[in-house]
Amino acid sequence: MEIFLIIIVAAFINNAVLVQCYGICPFLGVSKKMGNALGMGLAVTLVMAITCLVTFPIYNYILIPLGIEYLEIIVFIFVIAALVQMLEKVIKKFVPHLYNAMGIYLPLITTNCAVLGVAETVMDTTAMETIFHLSAGAFNVGHAVLYGIFLGLGFTLAICLMAGLREKVDNLEINKHLKGFTITMATASFMAMAFYVFALVQI
Amino acid sequence: MINVLLSVDIQWDKVGIVLGLIAGIAIVLAVAILIVTKVCHITEDEKVLKVIEHLAGANCGGCGYSGCEGFAKGLCSGKACLNDCKVTSNEEKAKIAEIAHLEFSAESPTVAVVRCNGGDAAKNKFDYIGNQDCVSEMLFHGGQKLCTTACLGLGSCTKVCPQGAIKVIDNKAVVDPSICTSCGNCIKTCPRVCIERIPATAPVYVACHSHCKGKEVMGQCSNGCIACGLCAKNCPQHAIEMVDNLPVIDYSKCTGCKTCVAKCPKHVIKVHGEILTLEKSKAVDKANQKN
Repeated sequence: MEIFLIIIVAAFINNAVLVQCYGICPFLGVSKKMGNALGMGLAVTLVMAITCLVTFPIYNYILIPLGIEYLEIIVFIFVIAALVQMLEKVIKKFVPHLYNAMGIYLPLITTNCAVLGVAETVMDTTAMETIFHLSAGAFNVGHAVLYGIFLGLGFTLAICLMAGLREKVDNLEINKHLKGFTITMATASFMAMAFYVFALVQI
Repeated sequence: MINVLLSVDIQWDKVGIVLGLIAGIAIVLAVAILIVTKVCHITEDEKVLKVIEHLAGANCGGCGYSGCEGFAKGLCSGKACLNDCKVTSNEEKAKIAEIAHLEFSAESPTVAVVRCNGGDAAKNKFDYIGNQDCVSEMLFHGGQKLCTTACLGLGSCTKVCPQGAIKVIDNKAVVDPSICTSCGNCIKTCPRVCIERIPATAPVYVACHSHCKGKEVMGQCSNGCIACGLCAKNCPQHAIEMVDNLPVIDYSKCTGCKTCVAKCPKHVIKVHGEILTLEKSKAVDKANQKN
């Protein structure tokens, strides 16, 4: 049951871009073409999953016992940036097709705010346990990684919707003052309003 | 300030932990990155790297490969042909041919040109108010123009041009030959096959490619070629030949005397690059009037 809840909450109710306003930069920058948007979204998903896998234990088993929780951001940036560097090399060597599809986006999102945001969200176990109605201490690394993956997929959904809309809007005859980035911002805000409906869901 | 600093009780044991932790993480990560880099080291072909150095680096994709790196790999594996790249200069291509042991015969540089002079002069079948894109318009009863070869003027070519060399002026596309690198993206995109390559040094070009007979063209467009043949008759070098109701210019014979431009009753034969210079002078005139 909590797995289902985590999926719904991560992908829709707490959608990274349209509800939490994380990762607006790639959302607006790489959403001109559907193919690029999909590559970016999958790259973000992969990085988020790895981030959750690594930062959750670091925070709960290293930083808290040592009493230096306030160093979270420095440590997370360090670790995420280094991991993505390694990931990029590994992918380039072993899965060249995947590297061709999304390799160029990996270095761009090493310290993206959406990635840091998911690390900050999942590390707070008490808050997560309240949201998902779990008993104390039940929120573990598996849940954290699941949350990361589906937050990334929610991001992919948002950026792909945006890319589809932009491809259509670019071909329409619209007022020249609205054309280009202005209409894109307006589109993004309407999409965000639509996603706020999910906030009404009682879990 | 110093008092404030002194009054803070610094927890020296915490400082030690923090420094130790950050140094530890840095060392662990540095070693890990080093190991991963060593393990996943890809020995890139030196030949490919040398070829990339000599390519133009426009990454236009005109050769059909994804960027110059892909093209260089294609060249080295013998799948690609050097003349597929229109951007790189002939001297650089000769060097690449030496490096990759390829056969290479120099081609004179080309530029793209839009072979339609219609624009507003080409008559419409209906008013089109749909998706503002040539490819979309083409799907709807073959586009709004009566002439089946006319430029639709919605600028699908401007969207794919990596150099931004194409402009839509008076509802027809115009290529700026000084910017065009002849990558061919517009040629692949244009649903009307309006765009063609001509030598960069060509003095004139035929701005119509309708193979219809004169009377039909008159009904469709007031700027179209009516196949009267005056250009072919009057060319002092006999460089023009009428083929299938259109003049074909042999650029190896053309000396650029521009007799054909003067003789053409429909002004279909244009001086290469003229439309843009006219447009620029118009803009200058407008600016002067404002002042």
